[in-house]
Amino acid sequence: MNKSTLFALVVVGCTVASPAVAQDRPAAGRIKVSSGDAYVLRDGAQAPAQLGQVVYESDGLRTGAGGKIGVTLNDDTRLSLGPNSELKLEKFTFAPADSNFSLVLKFIKGASTYVSGRIAKMAPGATRLETPAAIIGVRGTTLAINVTE
Amino acid sequence: MSNTLPLRAWPAIAAIGILTACGPKQIASPQRPGQDVIVLLPDAGNSVGAAGVSNAQGSVDLDAERETALVMPNRAPVLTRFSDADVKRLFGDALSALPPAPRAFTLFFRFESDELTDQSQALITAVLAAAKEHAVQDVIVIGHTDTMGTQQAKYGLGLKRALMVRNLLVGAGLDGSSIEVTSVGELDLLVNTADETAEPRNRRVEVAVR
Repeated sequence: MNKSTLFALVVVGCTVASPAVAQDRPAAGRIKVSSGDAYVLRDGAQAPAQLGQVVYESDGLRTGAGGKIGVTLNDDTRLSLGPNSELKLEKFTFAPADSNFSLVLKFIKGASTYVSGRIAKMAPGATRLETPAAIIGVRGTTLAINVTE
Repeated sequence: MSNTLPLRAWPAIAAIGILTACGPKQIASPQRPGQDVIVLLPDAGNSVGAAGVSNAQGSVDLDAERETALVMPNRAPVLTRFSDADVKRLFGDALSALPPAPRAFTLFFRFESDELTDQSQALITAVLAAAKEHAVQDVIVIGHTDTMGTQQAKYGLGLKRALMVRNLLVGAGLDGSSIEVTSVGELDLLVNTADETAEPRNRRVEVAVR
């Protein structure tokens, strides 16, 4: 192992050490768009959403006034939030080798969009989108969802 | 003749009053407190998918562009249709934050080998160009095989093909840390065949760029 590899490992070790629980969860996707007041919610804490940041199952995404977030999940599902919005990535399993798929999203408030990915295509019925008043079953679809508190 | 309505008429008038109060006019306000709005939008390429919106009180199906379900807690979903202006007003900001659509490439291999066909070799530059369009690059390389051989051998060959493509992409200048490599063996056939069938179209690597 050369010095730079060792350095990289140490840096990675320190970076992931703080949200310790997140390592045990499967990575679900990455933040591709983040502007204004935009946050990732993890283990009850709120941290600014960074471009390129990995998001995990059970993370939340939240925006304030003027904030926006766009995420692409590992199965090519895409999500976005407008200002004053929140959703939770309740469940994400994309393991084609084990034929194991699930995607559960909770739309908590504000305006969001959802563009289906491979999970909806490969496992019809494995996707569930929940709003406070309803459950949405998806068959390969682009949806816009608004929740007014 | 009396000016007062006969007593019998009042229930009917009350019913009309209730219908007006609870009917589509009032419920159509997009941001009524406690109300969820679900709008079906066209997919890329303008095809329209489908979705079902349900709760304990009922369900509606959305299968045309901008068909909309309005849902209040403990009430059955109501079907309506948003205008383009409604969509823009309520979802314009959210839509503008949607990341670019992922792109997929399929590269084919020679029989029982990790060597690309000539046409697929040329696609490497196209994959590279697509990746460079993204500010944050993610490239997922998935190896596939046909149904020849043991499960373990198929998984291994799929992985070998995926790694070979990864190396070509890194050689062409893509950052290796943005590339994820995996194999599914014969589990996701492009062309369904019986077991132990040589099928060139199943010997492939799918590259997702997003």
